[in-house]
Amino acid sequence: MTDNNYSIPKVTEVPPPAQDVVVHEYDGIQEYDNELPNWWLYTLYAAVVFAGIYWSGYHILRSYDQPREAYERELVAARAKDAERIKSSGIINAGTLAVLSKDPATRASGKAVFAQNCAVCHKADGSGLIGPNLTDRAWIHGGAPDKVFATINDGVAAKGMPAWGPQLGSDRTAAVAAYVVSIENTNVAGGKAAQGDVEP
Amino acid sequence: MSEVAVPEQSGVETRIEYYDDPVRWFSIASIVWGIVGMLVGIIVALQLSMWQANVHPMLSFGRLRPLHTNAVIFAFVGNMVFAGIYYSTQRLVKVRMNELLSKIHFWGWQAIIVAAAVTLPLGYTQGKEYAELEWPIDIAIAAVWVVFAINFFWALARRAEKHLYVAIWFYIASIVTVASLHIVNSLAIPVFALKSYSIYGGAKDGLVQWWYGHNAVAFFLTTPVLGIMYYFMPKAADRPVYSYRLSIVHFWALIFVYIWAGPHHLLNTALPDWAQTLGMIFSVMLWAPSWGGMLNGLLTLRGAWGKLRSDPVIKFFAAGVTFYGMATFEGPLLSIKSVNGLAHYTDWIIGHVHAGALGWNGFMAAGMFYFLFPRLYKRALYSVKLADIHFYLATFGILLYVVSMWVAGVTQGLMLRQVAADGALAYPNFVETLLAIKPMYWMRLIGGLMYFAGFCMMAFNLLMTAKGAEIVRAGATVMVPPPAAEAAWTKVIFGRPVMLSVAVALIVGTVAFLNDIASLVMLMVAGVVAVLGTVALQLTADKNAPNWHRLVEGRALLFTVMTVLAVLIGGVAELVPAVVVQAPVTQGGQHPYRPLELEGRDVYLREGCFNCHSQMIRPFSFETARYGEVSAIGDSQYDHPYLWGSKRTGPDLARLGGKYPSSWHYKHFVNPRDISAGSNMPPYSHFVSGRVDLGRSAAKVAAMKSIGVPYSDADVAGAAADARAQGAEIATELAVDGVQVAADSDMVAIIAYVQSIGRKPAPAKPGSAVAQTR
Repeated sequence: MTDNNYSIPKVTEVPPPAQDVVVHEYDGIQEYDNELPNWWLYTLYAAVVFAGIYWSGYHILRSYDQPREAYERELVAARAKDAERIKSSGIINAGTLAVLSKDPATRASGKAVFAQNCAVCHKADGSGLIGPNLTDRAWIHGGAPDKVFATINDGVAAKGMPAWGPQLGSDRTAAVAAYVVSIENTNVAGGKAAQGDVEP
Repeated sequence: MSEVAVPEQSGVETRIEYYDDPVRWFSIASIVWGIVGMLVGIIVALQLSMWQANVHPMLSFGRLRPLHTNAVIFAFVGNMVFAGIYYSTQRLVKVRMNELLSKIHFWGWQAIIVAAAVTLPLGYTQGKEYAELEWPIDIAIAAVWVVFAINFFWALARRAEKHLYVAIWFYIASIVTVASLHIVNSLAIPVFALKSYSIYGGAKDGLVQWWYGHNAVAFFLTTPVLGIMYYFMPKAADRPVYSYRLSIVHFWALIFVYIWAGPHHLLNTALPDWAQTLGMIFSVMLWAPSWGGMLNGLLTLRGAWGKLRSDPVIKFFAAGVTFYGMATFEGPLLSIKSVNGLAHYTDWIIGHVHAGALGWNGFMAAGMFYFLFPRLYKRALYSVKLADIHFYLATFGILLYVVSMWVAGVTQGLMLRQVAADGALAYPNFVETLLAIKPMYWMRLIGGLMYFAGFCMMAFNLLMTAKGAEIVRAGATVMVPPPAAEAAWTKVIFGRPVMLSVAVALIVGTVAFLNDIASLVMLMVAGVVAVLGTVALQLTADKNAPNWHRLVEGRALLFTVMTVLAVLIGGVAELVPAVVVQAPVTQGGQHPYRPLELEGRDVYLREGCFNCHSQMIRPFSFETARYGEVSAIGDSQYDHPYLWGSKRTGPDLARLGGKYPSSWHYKHFVNPRDISAGSNMPPYSHFVSGRVDLGRSAAKVAAMKSIGVPYSDADVAGAAADARAQGAEIATELAVDGVQVAADSDMVAIIAYVQSIGRKPAPAKPGSAVAQTR
């Protein structure tokens, strides 16, 4: 005992926990029977409780959307937003596209999109391979700027022209449409024979 | 010493010699096949980095990737597991294994591996991951597995040690479960000697496949290796196992929960939502039971951590168990639907499985072999230093591998969902995302090479250890205990823990049949019963009587039966409603394939296209913008096997039909880079010279008809004629675009197939066929 004023609390002797007691032995391997770690047990219990709550929320009370429902909800919102944006910017009509087709910056970005996605079938210079020649004056699905946009955007399934709108988005689709309009009647040498009608 | 197996008599001391030859054979086979499997892994990794490494059609990525996975799982880990089981079981139950059965098991298994190594590059495949082998080989696998099971259970029946140690529990669970997984998933209708179609179609096939695939990971790569850990870890550390009760709890929890988790491979797909949710929540519940194994392993090393510095065996075991803990934390994380939305189909999953395969399986194998060889050949390890170098090379190799795949997977997942200012995809071309992660593919290759180099060092080290050494003939003096009076089996099977578990399970099971409020109440009741019941069991336990589990451990047959029941519950609960009960297709629909399209689909299967291309568009706007309308459950209902895929090294193909002209496909198959600069797809110009045998079309259509695809007898009879007609149609169409190709070529057949993918039952009018979702 010390002779200062601090009092030392009396500690009652508790027996040490029953740890590390060998309970079995197999082929020289001994086995303790220690308690399960509490944090491990709580992890297990928490996961079980989570599973019950998750199942109840999604399949019994149906408080939350299943993946497909969530997607459909998201889609409706996205469509509305997209329509709003197109309405306010109003870029996609024959007039704006015609203007854009004379804008060097738009043509340059349209050309880049063309090189990456369209050149495979229409050739890098637009003179046609699998797809028709775009540098003559003939058009199968219409050569007016809004018609060109519609063909690119919605595709022509029967002819193997994919709908690029969903994949490229309206900005890139407009740019590539403007570019296509700008190369009309450039008549690149060695191009594919004209298909469709020459428009006035 | 040259004792032979003497029939053990109860109450008489007998000297037995362990039959360790199969341990030596299986160990050597594991190492040899491990080198082969990893070498093929390096080749396929190289092929992903540079397409030029696809030097021959038979050695292209789509055919070699299944060879890599099968070799690593069934040849490398399979043989390692058998070595561990033969060594430890004999010692734990004090019985000599049967020689003939062991030999049949060993040579039968090696023959199956050789058959796989020959048929897979030749393109014979059932098209289901890790179950690719064709039906005759499947039958051989079942037969050899039964031989192994008889050998094992007969040893248990003759055992001289009454109680079964935890390692044996895991072996029992592995053997019975793998048998049922293999048989149920491999059910197929044979068409020719090496051609069959899965009897399940579409979503059903997907569910069965991943019930199998996930539990092949569980019961082939995990539980037997846990058993091996329980034997070799305390042996090598010379320390007691940390906790017997932890063994009990995590064993039963693990095998019961694991079997439910398969659908987490099909999250956000067209699989019914209830099955997806079960897959997710059981995966989350699997976290703790998995970590129970890790804890019992690591805590066994208490007091032996010093050996980490000196003993390569402990080094590998400690790191292996740690990797196990990492992978089993990552697994539940990836099973959360939203995380899965990002990670599924990407390289993150590849990283995850390699943390398990290289980190857990590979390290446990290395630790076990470094432990075994000196004991099997009575020689000190040739070089501890070399083993240390192996350890560091392998560890850094795995880290490089896993980290590069994390980066690749997350990068690609984020790029694919990134949108530009106008709400459109920021990276509309899939190949852009591939090019972004190419450097990571090279990093992965370096990591893999490091691991492989380490593994070869181990092979050399063990060879030098065994070379010229004498064969050890180990044995033990055993005494089969005389039959003693013991508790009636009814007392065991109706033991209170069983009754409580059954009661809780029954209450939870009512949820499937009740209305909303009632099922909610029942879930709560189940929770209350479980908690109160557990407390009551603990309070009323008789401290002096042997605990209930101790009684079960003394009865091998009863233990096996209870294991089967625990495993069956999850399988039955998921497969019966989804597969056996014929639910009408509620969404989508598929037109049965025309005969030539079916032939083309077989070309697609043969080339293993499904290894890189999914056919499952998930309900995310970034997926539908890129690939088209969400895939519905009916869209693949006649696909035997299903081809949803599990990895997208290339884009999804579910709505490919009609998207591009046939000449586009021709050019793309001949040289993918002509169409898509930077693509790593192998060229398939051999489709031009390859020929489809249309004489076999009728048999294929008839086989499909017999498993429920609505073909008429006329369809079967006219199969060849229809195939010719369609071939001529496509060849003519190609000729218009200046491409000359034979109407019965592989090229025309596969074009017919890809143009039919996603086709609806009623042909829509031109112009409205591709009603793209925006």
